[in-house]
Amino acid sequence: MRMREATPEERRRFYLEEWDKREVPDFILHTISLREFGFDLDGKGPNNRYNQFTTVEQLGDFLRSRAPYSAYASVALYERPSAREGWLKAELVLDIDAKDLPLKPCGCPPGSVCERCLEEARQVAKQFAEVLAGDLGLRNISFVYSGRGFHIRVNDESVMTLEGNERAQVVDYVTGGVIPSDFTLALGYSQVFRERLVRTFRALGPEKLLEVKGLRKSVVQRLMQEKERVIEMIRRGRLEEISSLEGLGPKTFRSLLEFLTRLNAEFTDGKVTIDTKRILRLPSSLHSGVSMKCLVVRDIDRFRLEEAVPKFLREGEG
Amino acid sequence: MLGLDLITPEYLAVLDPFADEAKRIVEASPPLEALPAEIVERAVRRVKWTTREMLVEPDLESIRAEVLSFYLMCQAVASVSFPGSQEVRLISEATRNTLRYRMYDLFKRGQADLCLRAVKRSINLVDLEIGDTIRVDRFTIPREDFYKLRDLKLAEDGLETVDDRILPQYLPRYAVRWTDLAPLLRHRRKELARLYLVGGWAVITPRDLWDLYANFISVRLEDYVQSVYERILESGAQPSGVLARVGERISSLVPKEVFVREEFGRGPAGRLRPEFFPPCMKLALNGVGAGLRNYAVMMMLTPFLSYARVAPSGKVATRMADFIKDISVVREEIAPLLFEAAERCNPPLFQDQPQEKAGIFYHMGFGMTTEPTLSDSGRSKWYRPPNCSKIQMSAPSLCRPDEFCRKVKNPLTYYFRKRYEASKGGGGARDEDA
Repeated sequence: MRMREATPEERRRFYLEEWDKREVPDFILHTISLREFGFDLDGKGPNNRYNQFTTVEQLGDFLRSRAPYSAYASVALYERPSAREGWLKAELVLDIDAKDLPLKPCGCPPGSVCERCLEEARQVAKQFAEVLAGDLGLRNISFVYSGRGFHIRVNDESVMTLEGNERAQVVDYVTGGVIPSDFTLALGYSQVFRERLVRTFRALGPEKLLEVKGLRKSVVQRLMQEKERVIEMIRRGRLEEISSLEGLGPKTFRSLLEFLTRLNAEFTDGKVTIDTKRILRLPSSLHSGVSMKCLVVRDIDRFRLEEAVPKFLREGEG
Repeated sequence: MLGLDLITPEYLAVLDPFADEAKRIVEASPPLEALPAEIVERAVRRVKWTTREMLVEPDLESIRAEVLSFYLMCQAVASVSFPGSQEVRLISEATRNTLRYRMYDLFKRGQADLCLRAVKRSINLVDLEIGDTIRVDRFTIPREDFYKLRDLKLAEDGLETVDDRILPQYLPRYAVRWTDLAPLLRHRRKELARLYLVGGWAVITPRDLWDLYANFISVRLEDYVQSVYERILESGAQPSGVLARVGERISSLVPKEVFVREEFGRGPAGRLRPEFFPPCMKLALNGVGAGLRNYAVMMMLTPFLSYARVAPSGKVATRMADFIKDISVVREEIAPLLFEAAERCNPPLFQDQPQEKAGIFYHMGFGMTTEPTLSDSGRSKWYRPPNCSKIQMSAPSLCRPDEFCRKVKNPLTYYFRKRYEASKGGGGARDEDA
């Protein structure tokens, strides 16, 4: 799949011929007049803010007439969205950007994406959503393919009035971003942390491991050679056994654990989650930077990138 | 002591001073100035209560004294200090300890139901189903986890063995919705990753329950003090005599280790002159509460102290290196003051946001680093302190203008002008080259 920037003409064509109001998800449709809309009209950034639409038809008219480079809607609902005043509540959001994954399974350079890292982002989004629904007992969780990654959008009333601090703790929990007090409990955060640790450690290469303070080359080699054994130790919650590997004392083990935990936390951009006034790419709109549609993913297990390819790109390549 | 069989519904006010029962007592009370001396005394004394002093007899007169002294304590502190102050922390902690002890005592006396009634008004709480399987809602908790949770709690309290009387306090028995604990997460009284969560339920022991609930009330106290403080500011009224007197007595009970001036003794004499600092910066230096920490430390104090110390003219500068020859001015004079102010925040700023240490140097123009050098100067923008109007909007609780504030529009101008006027008047203040 070739991702490239859309031309102004392609944007116009997309909004005139392909944009469909039925692709605006219900959670936005039903609250449209309470959201702030923002637009990047020329590819220089979302500078056109403080827009309010009372109907989806009004929104459609705007999109067709201006064919923006990008379109966004706030995660927050306001009494007066056009003034960004009277904050009522906000979706809980996690942003998994494939271009910013801390460990990429492919060789693509930082800042760019390919199908493999998008697939990795999809897996991460799925794992995060499982914890949101399981441990945290949340409902009304939607996935959105954003063009370069995935958004998880939670419209569960019980979390929509949470403030930044609480949301930051949700990020810590879901990502495995803090070291737990116990590694062995079968359920709860202990389990989440073990799973995240396994994923991160499995994806680590020797170069990355050398960044761990105090970790010698020979120990890195041993950790790589015994990767599956180490993963098994993590799975069983027997982390203390890792520190008994030759050349890896308790202090270096702690550094390693802290390093892995930091990496865990980087699988999502926490700043997006804690910002209760954020604008997020509008599902149904075009991500002109990569010429892909931003859309709600009905079934995350069966999502295919082809669903998000706009007509102009398909025809151009066909 | 307590005739607990005679407990009336009003007794709930003893466990929840924000309950309707308590509000009714306050509404029916005489004005503050007319409160009896024993209630005024109790408002001060309750800050230092230990164990049995915290308990309240179940008669209406005792309940009334308890509720009124609680509100007098809160309002008095709001009138002499500010949200997040040492005084607020003192009464918040005292209230937490009091509530925890009362819950413990009632459980011990077989009055757990009364406690649960109070808790359930604010928090969605259910009993664990403990039988052949252990369940909450439709979720099964592995028996092994059940006992591990007990052992973890015992270890937290430093206990290896306990007798059968105490042990049940450490066994998981209830579950609460984690979203109801949001105020505790917001104030960092609890961490989500430290809770045992299943299907949205946090599994807890009786001891956890006392602790959670006591924290819950103490957080509400802090919010209440903030609302009273804002009301006083808005009205512009002077606090009544009794409020000021009680407030000052409580202030005098604050541990003495944190006073801004003492901290400045460390820098070379005559450089930063804290006596000329505007009120907002003095307040920020004393530490602020959770919602304001970043703004107070990063946006207000960091630019203010760095310009006040390094750019004596107060003129706009782009690089600190244009004014200093030695980085120790930054590392050993300015940064420690900022780190200490951050430490005094509630919760301490770097406890949950350690990355902000680098943010401090970033706002002084050294880029994101914790080890700034002179050659780093200019890597990022050296921020100026915000104007007073901006502070008033972003941090209204820190803006307590004095007479001199009327003459200036920026805290830095306040500092330089006040210092200049003092030097003209023979105060001996003078600029020194950094």
